[in-house]
Parts: sequence; structure tokens; C-alpha cells
Amino acid sequence: MPTTSPRGRSGRPTTRRNRRGRRTAAAARARRSLRGSAPLRLRVGFVFIALVLSFFGARLVQLQAVEPGKYATLAASTGGTVTVELPADRGPILDRNGRPLAESVAGRMVVADPLQTRNRAPELARFLAKRLHVDYFSTLHALDQKNSRFAYVARRVPADRAVSVVNAATDAGFKGLATRNDPVRSYPDHDVAANMVGFMGTDGPLAGLELSFNHQLEGRDGSETYEVGAGNRIPLGHSTVTPAHNGTALHTTIDEDLQWYTQRVLRQTVLASGGQSGFAVVMDTHSGELLSLADYPTYDASNPQASPRRDRNALSLTSPYEPGSVEKVLTLSGLIDAGKVTDRTRLLVPGQLQSGDRVIHDWFPHGTLRMTLAGVIAQSSNIGTAKSSRLFGHGQLRKYLTGFGLGQRTNIGLAGETAGLLPSQADWNGMTQDRIAFGQSVSVNGVQMAAAINTVANGGVRVSPSLIQGRATTNAGDVVGTDVATRHRVVSKNAAHQMTQMMERVVDPNVGVAPAAQVPGYVVAGKTGTAQRVGATCGCYNGQFTVSFAGFAPADNPRFTVYVVVQRPTNGGGGGSVAGPAFSKIMSFALRRYGVAPTGAKSSHLPTTW
Amino acid sequence: MSSTAPALRTRVPRLAEVALERARLTVVPKRKRRHSSPVPFLVVVSMFAVGGIVGLLLFNTSMQQASFAATDLQRQADALQAKQQTLQMDLDRLRDPQAIALKAQRMGMVLPSSPAVLDLGTGKVLGDPVPATRLDPLRLLAPPPAKPALLDPQAHVTVVHPPENSSGNTARGSHDSAGGPGRNDHTGHTNNTSHTQPTH
Repeated sequence: MPTTSPRGRSGRPTTRRNRRGRRTAAAARARRSLRGSAPLRLRVGFVFIALVLSFFGARLVQLQAVEPGKYATLAASTGGTVTVELPADRGPILDRNGRPLAESVAGRMVVADPLQTRNRAPELARFLAKRLHVDYFSTLHALDQKNSRFAYVARRVPADRAVSVVNAATDAGFKGLATRNDPVRSYPDHDVAANMVGFMGTDGPLAGLELSFNHQLEGRDGSETYEVGAGNRIPLGHSTVTPAHNGTALHTTIDEDLQWYTQRVLRQTVLASGGQSGFAVVMDTHSGELLSLADYPTYDASNPQASPRRDRNALSLTSPYEPGSVEKVLTLSGLIDAGKVTDRTRLLVPGQLQSGDRVIHDWFPHGTLRMTLAGVIAQSSNIGTAKSSRLFGHGQLRKYLTGFGLGQRTNIGLAGETAGLLPSQADWNGMTQDRIAFGQSVSVNGVQMAAAINTVANGGVRVSPSLIQGRATTNAGDVVGTDVATRHRVVSKNAAHQMTQMMERVVDPNVGVAPAAQVPGYVVAGKTGTAQRVGATCGCYNGQFTVSFAGFAPADNPRFTVYVVVQRPTNGGGGGSVAGPAFSKIMSFALRRYGVAPTGAKSSHLPTTW
Repeated sequence: MSSTAPALRTRVPRLAEVALERARLTVVPKRKRRHSSPVPFLVVVSMFAVGGIVGLLLFNTSMQQASFAATDLQRQADALQAKQQTLQMDLDRLRDPQAIALKAQRMGMVLPSSPAVLDLGTGKVLGDPVPATRLDPLRLLAPPPAKPALLDPQAHVTVVHPPENSSGNTARGSHDSAGGPGRNDHTGHTNNTSHTQPTH
């Protein structure tokens, strides 16, 4: 504007030069008056910037130094960030073929807000009872509570079902239902291997492998924190993720189908004999792997509360018992190995044998018999065994029994195992030795005894039993599994062979006591046991029995060792008549399942008398 | 502007020629350029600014869309995974050997009593093939739980002694206290009796 006004006012043209000069001077003057001089402008600008920055600085000090954390919590509490738990999957427990004995499934709990559900509680309870299979009355009670904002409707429901039911309820106009994370542990086979696998409580494992390998199975939960807006994650928002580490699977040596069959045969056997309990062990002869470890009574792992506490135990490992005559196999194998006798040694077996202040009898009354050592096994003579065992040198029998694994835990990975009771050398005298020779005054657990008999099957080399494939570390820090299985020779191959030949006579229909244990078409070697039980209260033999049968087949090239024990049968049966048929069925199933062909060998014809 | 240069040159002494030369060469074009129109520059700058803002907005919107889609897909993946696990659980339940055995038994199938093997090389049958029978079937189900005493009262038995003594038929109750058959020959065993009891 200043450049045009002089011309308009004067009304006459000025020279070009003058006009221009005046105009630039005026413009410069106007500019200078508006903006001020450059140094002044700079100074004002700097002061302004410094003011602003000092405000920033003051605020920074306030936030970081004066009240740190206050705004972070304020932001978190207003719901701008969300922290979700990333639950780790619990590792499955698998059988030897990778089929799950226990597995984890994403699960949800269905919870309700009674304030919102109260007004339509009966209707909603009926809906839920029908769709979720929950109890109508307890659900109604939960939904109808006063002064409550939280109630459980159902827990550990498979996520799929929980979400679909809650969505259906919402669609039907019901309000106040929600789901939350609640993993499900599923035992698809119910009672199969339940005594071993164990089960989960509400907060953690309560028994079995679930408990003793919890560190490996449980994994580690992770978490994720992120910012949300309108229910959605803000794309470039701040987030932190701690990933979840899933639990590691536990591979057992159990064969699911064989385990099932063993359990059914065992149950049938215990019930038919009127017994109190029982167990059966199937062991791979060469590797020591436990293909099945069945206990009766048992329980349903997916519903453990339905069974009493005592049924959820693995009695085969936790309950010591006297093995009875099955132990004669160990005594006489040792005696043969020590070079004191052979399978054809001729013995005079009197009708009774004085042992200290006691008298040893046989299970059948007889006069003096002329038996070979094979006859002693075939007829299960206590007197013959005790008399032969007197040939042992000092401490020799104890050394052999320790070699067979008696008195030591098998450490297969289950907690609460008993070591059994093998009297110390100090408590060992002639009377003790006489009784231990035929299986009294010594107690064992089931797996221990199966492994001891398996030593004979395995040519005199004891291979430690395993329940875990590969290796795994228990919570207690023990490394167990087939990778760390140990082998050591207990008796010579020749001694084991002679004992096998003698044991073949046990199932002979003419000279043996357990023809019912025979597996048609195969050569079977075995030994019965009918031991008196020690009563819990009196500390004496109380007239009850432990009947058992241990054996292996095919005898000339053994593949499996099977050991069946029934506690307190009430039908008067012995090892041969109660446990023998069960042994035969289980062995037959195992041989068929693993395609073991008969070897075509003939059973031994060792003389039993002379 | 160029017209002023010869006029200046006439008045100013030659001494200042160097300075004059410099002034002539530099000052004039610069001033002229400073006064050129700022409009194109402003247009370019505002285009950049607006383009940037719009682009940023579009980018942000598409990120948001992607976030919605990701949340949706994640939800879908979770649902499908849950469904897969539930189906797997159902499958494992169907594969339960107990379930299979129950179905098989209902269809009339039985377990073979003894294994036999056919050797394809020689065509010989190894083992003793025995036809499977329905005798001695495998018991698949647990016995039902015992009834409480209230629902299962003791049978009320009145023993009526016949006038004549007919031997053997009436002593039903008195046998209950006897142990199982075959065990009566073992006398009771306590710590201080001199029997070490038989096992076999």
C-alpha cells in the first residue's frame, strides 16, 4: 500500500527514478516498524523458545522425578492397555505308540453375574442344564444369588462348547454370562493306566506321573500387554510379549491296548477269586520296558472323586508284600550259579524240616520224597528249597538277592515307591535264611519282583525296569527312562538256562502245579506263589494269602515277562489256579499283539523225581 | 535497471571501478528474484503437507482395518483350534479300547483263545489254532456298586428243623464261618507257634 498512495494523492506523474526511490524507502521504513530490527527479532524468538522449552523441562521433571509411576498407573487403570495371560499347554502323557493317556484341551469356565441373571434365573438354568449338562438346581442357586456379581456355572468345559453355549444364550436374550480361560485335562481312556498316570486337581497335579513329572509337563505361562481402543488392538501401540513355553510331552513305555486288556483280565481275576486287590506287570524281557502296569482296584482319572482315596494308588509299587514261592526262582538260580547244585541234583525231601525253634512244612503233607531240584520247583517244595539253600556260604544268598534288585527301589519315576524289606546282614541268621529262601521274611514291590524274574528270562542279566521312553527328569531331580537303564549280570547264562528248564516243568500238566498257566502252542516257563499275608494289626500271618504267578515266554527265546498277583483271594485258590489263568491270557494277548511266533521248541523233560 | 548503470559510470570516479563492477554484477538480479511470487512455492509446500497428512490418514486407516481383520482372524483361529481340540478329544474317546471292545462284543466278536501264526514262506501254521469260543468271555464292565444296606436288606431266613433228622440239608448257616475249602488244614499261625507256614 505505501508504494501506491503517493502517486494517487499528488495526481501527477513523477519521474521514474524518484518514484522508485521514495517507494523503497517508505517500504523499508514500514517493514522495520512492523518487525523491529533483526537482532531484536532474534532475541524475542529465542526468549519465546526458551520459555516453551523451560515449560517442557519443568513438566519433564514433574513427570519423571517428582511423581514417577503415577501416570503410568493412571493410564493402565483407565483401560488403555490390556494384559492377557498366554496360558502354556500342559504336555500330554503318551503311550509307546504316541496315543494320549492324558492330554490338554483349550477349556473355558462359564461364569455368571447373578445381578444380571437373577430375573430370568430359572429359564437360564434350564437352558444351561440342557446345553452344558450341569445340575439344574445348583445352577439355579448360583444364578439366583443376592448381592453377588460372580458365580461359577461350569468349569473346565471344552472351549468350543463353552463359547457356543454362551453365544447361544446371548442370542436367546440372556444376559450376564461370560467365559474365562480354564484349561481342560482329558483322560480319554478313563481308568486305563490311571493308577500310574495320576490326575489333576483344580490347581495342580495330585498323583502319579502328573505329579512326579509336573515340572516337565506344566510349561511356563506367558503374558502379553498391549494398548487397545474400542476393543481392538492399536496397531502401532506399545506392546510387550512374554511368550508361553508349552509343557513337554512325556513318552511312557506303556502299550495302551495291552494295558487295557491286562486291567480287564486282572479285574476279572480278582473279582472271580473274591480277592481284595491285585496287580499285573508286563515287561519287555530285553529292554526292561514296562508294557503294562495294571492295578486293581482302579479309578476313572477323569472323575477321581468318584473313587475312594485308597483306590487311586499304584499298589504294585507302594505296597510291600511277601512274594512267597516265586522267590524260590531267585534262591535256586543263585545256588546253581554258585556251583552248589544243578537242575538234576537229587534231594531227599523229608515231611518237615526243623529250622531253629520252628518247623517248616510243605503245602501238601508227604513223607520223605526223592525229588530232583527241578521237582522242588515244579512241586514248589519249601522244605527242598530251604534244605538246598543251606549250601550257601555266609552272606551269599543276600548278595544274590541284592543283585536281583531286592531291597532297592526300581526308581521308574513314580513317587512313593517302597524299597521292600531285605533283612540286613546283621539280622540274618540260619532261620531267617531258611524262610527267605522260599519267600518269607522278605518283602518286595511288584515291579521289583517282575524285574528279578525277568533277570532269569534275560539270560541272567538284570535290566532295570523303565516306565519312561528315552529320558525324563522327575521333580525330585532323578533322571529316569530307557536311556539310563542299567544292566548287570546276576547269575551265569548257564544258571539262567537251567532255571528256565526247571520253570518249564511248573506248567506241565503231569508234574507241575500250574498247568492253567500254559499258553497253547508256546513253551512257557513260570513259577507260582501262594504266600501267607502279614496282618496289618497283629504283625503275624493272619490266614490270608497273596497268590501270584510269574513267568515268561517263549521260554527258549523270551520276549515278555508277566507277573500277576492277587491279594487275599477268598475262594481258596492258589497261585496256579487264580493267577495262572490270568497269566496265560495276558501272555497270549501280548504274544499275539506283537506277532511273536511259536519257536517250535519242545518243553523240557527234566526228571522231577528219582 | 540497466539504464542506471551508464549514468552512474559518468559521475563516479574511475577509482571506484572495481567496487562498482562488483555491485553491478551481484546486487541487481538478486533483488529482483526475491520479489518473485511465493505462490508456486506455497502450493508445492501445501501439496506436500496435505498429501502427507492425507497419506498418513489413509495409512493409519488401512492399519486400523488390518488390525480389525487381524483380531477377527485371530478369534477365528482360536475358535477353530478349540474345535479341532474338541474333535480330537472326541476321536480319542472313540478310540478308547474299552469303547471299541464294548462295540465289538455287542457285535458278537470274541477274543481268540490262543495265538496261531501262518508262516507265508513255508505255508505252515505255527502254534495250536483253536477256534475262538464265547465261553469265558472277557468281562468288560466293572461290577455295579453295592447297594446301601437300606435298599438291600439281609434276607430273613428262618431255619425250620424238620421233625426227623435228615442229614445235611439244614446246616446252611453254620458253614459260613468256615474258611475257604482247602485252607482248613493250616492251623492258625501266631508269632510263638512253631510252624513256619507253607507256601507254594
